[in-house]
Amino acid sequence: MESVVAGVIIAIIKILVILGIVLGVGAYLTWVERKVAAHIQRRPGPMVVGWHGLLQPLADGLKLITKEDLFPRYGNKFLYNLAIVLALVPATLVFAVVPFGPEFELFGYKIKPILTDVNVGLLLVFGLGSLAVYAIAIAGWASNSKYPLIGSMRKAGIIISYEVVITFAVMGPLILAGTLSTYEIVQKQIEQNLWYVWVQPVAFVVFMFALLAETGRVPFDIQEAEAELVTGFTVEYGGMKFGLFPLVEWYVEVLSLSAIAVVLFFGGWSPINIPFVGFVDPLFFLGPFSPYAWFLLKVTLLFLFILWLHWTLPRYRIDQITETAWKIMLPLTLINIVFTAVIAPVVWG
Amino acid sequence: MIKRVAAKPLSWLERALFIDFIKGLSVTIRHAFSRTITTHYPYEKLTPPKRFRGFFGHKVVDGNEPQPAYDEWVERFKIEVIPGKSRCVVCMLCKRACPVPQLFEIEGKKLENGKRVVSVFNMNLMLCTFCGFCVDACPVDCLFQSDIHETASYTRKDSILDLELLERIGKDWQARREHEPDRIWIDDSQREKLWYENDVKLPELEFRGRHEW
Repeated sequence: MESVVAGVIIAIIKILVILGIVLGVGAYLTWVERKVAAHIQRRPGPMVVGWHGLLQPLADGLKLITKEDLFPRYGNKFLYNLAIVLALVPATLVFAVVPFGPEFELFGYKIKPILTDVNVGLLLVFGLGSLAVYAIAIAGWASNSKYPLIGSMRKAGIIISYEVVITFAVMGPLILAGTLSTYEIVQKQIEQNLWYVWVQPVAFVVFMFALLAETGRVPFDIQEAEAELVTGFTVEYGGMKFGLFPLVEWYVEVLSLSAIAVVLFFGGWSPINIPFVGFVDPLFFLGPFSPYAWFLLKVTLLFLFILWLHWTLPRYRIDQITETAWKIMLPLTLINIVFTAVIAPVVWG
Repeated sequence: MIKRVAAKPLSWLERALFIDFIKGLSVTIRHAFSRTITTHYPYEKLTPPKRFRGFFGHKVVDGNEPQPAYDEWVERFKIEVIPGKSRCVVCMLCKRACPVPQLFEIEGKKLENGKRVVSVFNMNLMLCTFCGFCVDACPVDCLFQSDIHETASYTRKDSILDLELLERIGKDWQARREHEPDRIWIDDSQREKLWYENDVKLPELEFRGRHEW
């Protein structure tokens, strides 16, 4: 009985910490994105509110909350509001299976810094990732307007193509690790002295493409395509309801998928890897906090890389996107699976 | 003959290794770490060139009037010349030149000694397009456009310039910028003063004569 109570308390603390970090960081990533975008265009970005605009997210939130809540005539109010929940919840839920560091002991309890170490963690990630399409399709439908509908149909097309591709892409690391649990995958990489990116570069590139497509980042941002569709499926939303969609799509989802990419390809919380030899840890002086620092560092770098891509590349057309997915990415991943099956015995050692 | 120029198509190796992506990324990263070129507007402001078409003003009598035009017009209309007051001779040429003449409201009055002087000169800038025809028309170099460009106001009343305000703008202008050359050439040190004020590094322009282009 006592262990059950302790488990519940630990789980609640974990939930609060993860929710606080994810939503807080998500809001501040808007500031990071604006700064990165501005400097790439040789502007300083937000500078007025707070030191170098550090309070800008708060000001933005205040502005969004105090705005008038408009609703399109003849729209479906229930679905209109449901879409917001459907967008926010699955994207946040993905963090339930993201491992932040190795197991540690506190007051005699063994605690894993992961909310639920389910043994089908990755399936959960992709299941929840596919749910995102419902939010967008419903948002487009309930708005009763043509631009949102076009935008949401485009997004549905992309997600259907790239969910297939991303699932086949992670098959390689899964074969090498022999497990679906995210925590175990990292453990395996540490045991085998190998980041899977060294033997799965193709899978990693395909995963990055699919990540950009699922989160609507730039080469694949046709669902909002501000030049043609204003902002796509968010056209009819106002105030905080409008603010939530980019927050979820551009920040929370990118963050969660970056974390999954780090887990799958960059050995989660492990330090720098020399393939098949071992790990080098320049951050050893942090002691027990070094794994967390490494995980944070990797996710941050990957996120910044995605921002960098976003503010560099132009936009593909919808036919080019789906064509790439079905004609190039999917065969590549299938070849990669065969290749992985051949080298797997070497990695298993 | 039109010469068609197209980029060389990428080879399959360049496609597979994302060479064009990498080229683009290298461009953006170089810009990301170079200095920003923004003017932080409400806190720092650029000085516009002297011939900028901003708010209007009346130059005042200070001995620099265009001669003999000014004396001729004064003679013709029997204007009382008061140093430190507007040069206006109430000829109405500005109103004639204006595409929206009703924005001007000009009146003169007769003094006791029989001479005349401008008494009312209102310009309603709600109607104005800042085309500068009135400035070109002014025969005595009185009406001019200053470098004041922050023209927003809270009431419509504030957008009407009356004689007193016009004279104030004129005096301010004459004290600040009258001595500057009208034209600024590309290799002029004056140009540097205008645009280099905020330590903004513009690229060095190659100066060539027109026939060399």
